[in-house]
Amino acid sequence: MLNEKRCVITGLGLVCAIGHDTDECFESAVNGRSGIADAVSFDTSGCYSHKGAEVDLTDEELTGGKKYDRTTALGIKAAGEAIKDAGLDMDSEAASEIGVLLGSCIAGAACVEKYYNDKHDGKEGSVEDLKSMPATVIAGNVADYYNAGGITANIVNACAAGTLSVALAIDMIRGGKGDIFLAGGCDSFSSLAYSGFHALRALAPSDCSPFNHSDGITLGEGAGVLVVESYEHAVARGAKIYCDVLGSGVSSDAYHITAPRPDGEGQMSVITRAVRNSGLEFTDIGYVNAHGTGTAKNDESEFLSLKTLFENNKELYVSSTKSMTGHCLGAAGAIEAVLTVKALTEGKLPPTTGYSDEDLEVLKEKAGDIRFIAGKPVEKKIKYAMSNSFAFGGNNASIVFANDPNVLNLSCPKQDLYVTGIGIVNGEFDEEKGDYTVNLDADVFKSYGIKSAFLRKLDRLSQLQLLSGLKALEDSGITVGPDNEGVIGICIGTNDGPMTEIANFQKGIIRDGIEKGSAFAFPNTVYNAAGGYLSIATGIKGYNVTIANGFQSGLQSVCCAAGAIMFGYESIMLASGTDECTEIDDEIYRDLGLTGEGKMTLGEGSVTCVIEKDSSAAGRGAKRYAKIAGFSSARDTSGDRSDIFRLSEASLTKAVMNVLEEGGLKPSDVSCIYGFGNGSAELDGFEREVYKKIFGDDIRIKLVKKDHGEARAASSSLQFAMLAKDISDGKEENGIAVSFGTSALYSAILLTKA
Amino acid sequence: MNNEIAEKIKGMLVERLRIPAEELEYDSELFGEDIGLDSIDSIEIIVGIENLFGVDLSGSGATREDFRSIETLTAFVEAHKED
Repeated sequence: MLNEKRCVITGLGLVCAIGHDTDECFESAVNGRSGIADAVSFDTSGCYSHKGAEVDLTDEELTGGKKYDRTTALGIKAAGEAIKDAGLDMDSEAASEIGVLLGSCIAGAACVEKYYNDKHDGKEGSVEDLKSMPATVIAGNVADYYNAGGITANIVNACAAGTLSVALAIDMIRGGKGDIFLAGGCDSFSSLAYSGFHALRALAPSDCSPFNHSDGITLGEGAGVLVVESYEHAVARGAKIYCDVLGSGVSSDAYHITAPRPDGEGQMSVITRAVRNSGLEFTDIGYVNAHGTGTAKNDESEFLSLKTLFENNKELYVSSTKSMTGHCLGAAGAIEAVLTVKALTEGKLPPTTGYSDEDLEVLKEKAGDIRFIAGKPVEKKIKYAMSNSFAFGGNNASIVFANDPNVLNLSCPKQDLYVTGIGIVNGEFDEEKGDYTVNLDADVFKSYGIKSAFLRKLDRLSQLQLLSGLKALEDSGITVGPDNEGVIGICIGTNDGPMTEIANFQKGIIRDGIEKGSAFAFPNTVYNAAGGYLSIATGIKGYNVTIANGFQSGLQSVCCAAGAIMFGYESIMLASGTDECTEIDDEIYRDLGLTGEGKMTLGEGSVTCVIEKDSSAAGRGAKRYAKIAGFSSARDTSGDRSDIFRLSEASLTKAVMNVLEEGGLKPSDVSCIYGFGNGSAELDGFEREVYKKIFGDDIRIKLVKKDHGEARAASSSLQFAMLAKDISDGKEENGIAVSFGTSALYSAILLTKA
Repeated sequence: MNNEIAEKIKGMLVERLRIPAEELEYDSELFGEDIGLDSIDSIEIIVGIENLFGVDLSGSGATREDFRSIETLTAFVEAHKED
């Protein structure tokens, strides 16, 4: 019973507008001290709102003088406190097993702004800014900063990212993929997000007022990091334990790219999943740290969800700490998780601020039986607390913390996982552009019943993703409907995400002013838009996560999908890798010096594989391409940690050896490797040498990028899909798909005959 | 109907909202089955019209009916445009 593996919180780190560390933030929160003030990071004079919840520390103050993008710098600050609080010695051998899972929504927005400002002014953009722009580098940078050598991942599901990273940490620990993780989220205050929410008319004219005036959000910045650890590991090293983290839930609205479902169905689904996953009843929960953004749509649907589900719980306390911290987007869930752990362990529940006596009267009616905390904190010993996050794309996530270790009564016997569907969208060489491009034909979407009114909203990345998802579902013979919509989930891997949309939106702001951002374009600047559209178009209402973690993201999406099936409610997961190749991408990779003669040629595409558990596949008589016999990610901190593109023989070898061990195979049993070689002499030579050492001179290495270019996450997914096809066609007995990320991260998946 | 204004509005809708030009007639129902626009698109239309003609749809009391089609938007702009 894998789910009986206890996970505990052993360290906390926090920085946001209400304090520089956890204690200061919690004291502010309990005392109702808001961090919202007039925004100073950029000029908001043309906007109808001027408020922000900013951190009064410079980037250098956050990192001790080292230069990083502000989002990463905030993550470094919070991670440092969590490490110290947990008593971890980062110079010891034990540091090599500490993983880092961080959520972010806007990623390197400060560097995006600086880079395109420089270009606008006719200057050459800085390569360092370019490297820091994508979300893909954040967790690796934080891990490298502290010499943490475990697995990394960036969870980029907008405002649910911080909560999802904690949920993923639990799945990883329970799945035996690590014993200790720094999990959380970070996001900086940015002109991009400010302009976008301003365009959507979603910013509150004054300080946000969740569940009260509900006239919009106030953006904030910050980071929260929790040390999530297996109980055995914590006890063995004599760690102080704050509380258990019992379980989690993840769901999709399948409704709208920015607005929550008014009937609260997706929110109620995720809360129910988290309560059940924790082995609890609704009456057990003592406190909910609400998503509580302050928009009318959120507050109405969230109140409805809470009142409906917790109807029989007369002792449920609820508050929104965003009234003080502002909405910190990808950091929000992590910041609120830290505050929830403190509230639970200290018995002090922070209030929602900004209520007048008159407001409190109105609140009584709105809240009904819910004990909504407004104005003043509540001192109350509780056993179980929950933190909820609901994001753009209709992504919902919820986690549950416990003061005592509940006896988990869930049984999830390990089942074999199979590849039961494949959808491939590949690029072809374009002589004029000099790269591999996909011809996206509107008629193909029409043949799947996608209307042009829907399709026009999707950026290129989302269209690529949608097409491979539809093809995979078709190939697997799955029709999504009321019977299965809740047990199908989505996990998308990407390296660059919607960088084209981000760059174009930022260029627009620079040209026209922050007050002139496009409401139409903004939703597509979030990394999980593609996953959101896929769920809306197909009606998939289960798990939904997007991981941005280097070229190997397409393989890591399979690893994450496996976790969702083993520990969540899903029977079927769509695991994808998607990256686009636009003029913006061409420019970025050229400026980074990674393309050109003797180097890689860019490509684009999307590949989705249907991963399904044995009982589900058997139940519907599914065709099985191959069996997943092992999956592993590995990294280390050897070599020059300041070089995010460094190679590591030790990590690559470890990832490969791990899957062999899991699958019970010897190197000599392996028929082939689907490798990551992309035409870069250094990379290709390195890869060949490492395989020769592991497998001997005769190992066959199959490469996909010579035919379709370096399509990054789409390529790593394609390697996986082609291997599954080869095994299904009888061309191979088995094989391993391998790829690499930044900061010396490698993933490998072993497939065998079904 | 002022064709010049209508054509500019059509161009703006095609560019800002990625509506395929061949599917967009002057009398197409923008928020109905034909084109399927939603509330985010309406915000974008307000900004687009203001940039093109200096007419503030929300401030000048435009109603749902004024957003119905390119024809109705054109009539509203004609009536409120200051030359």
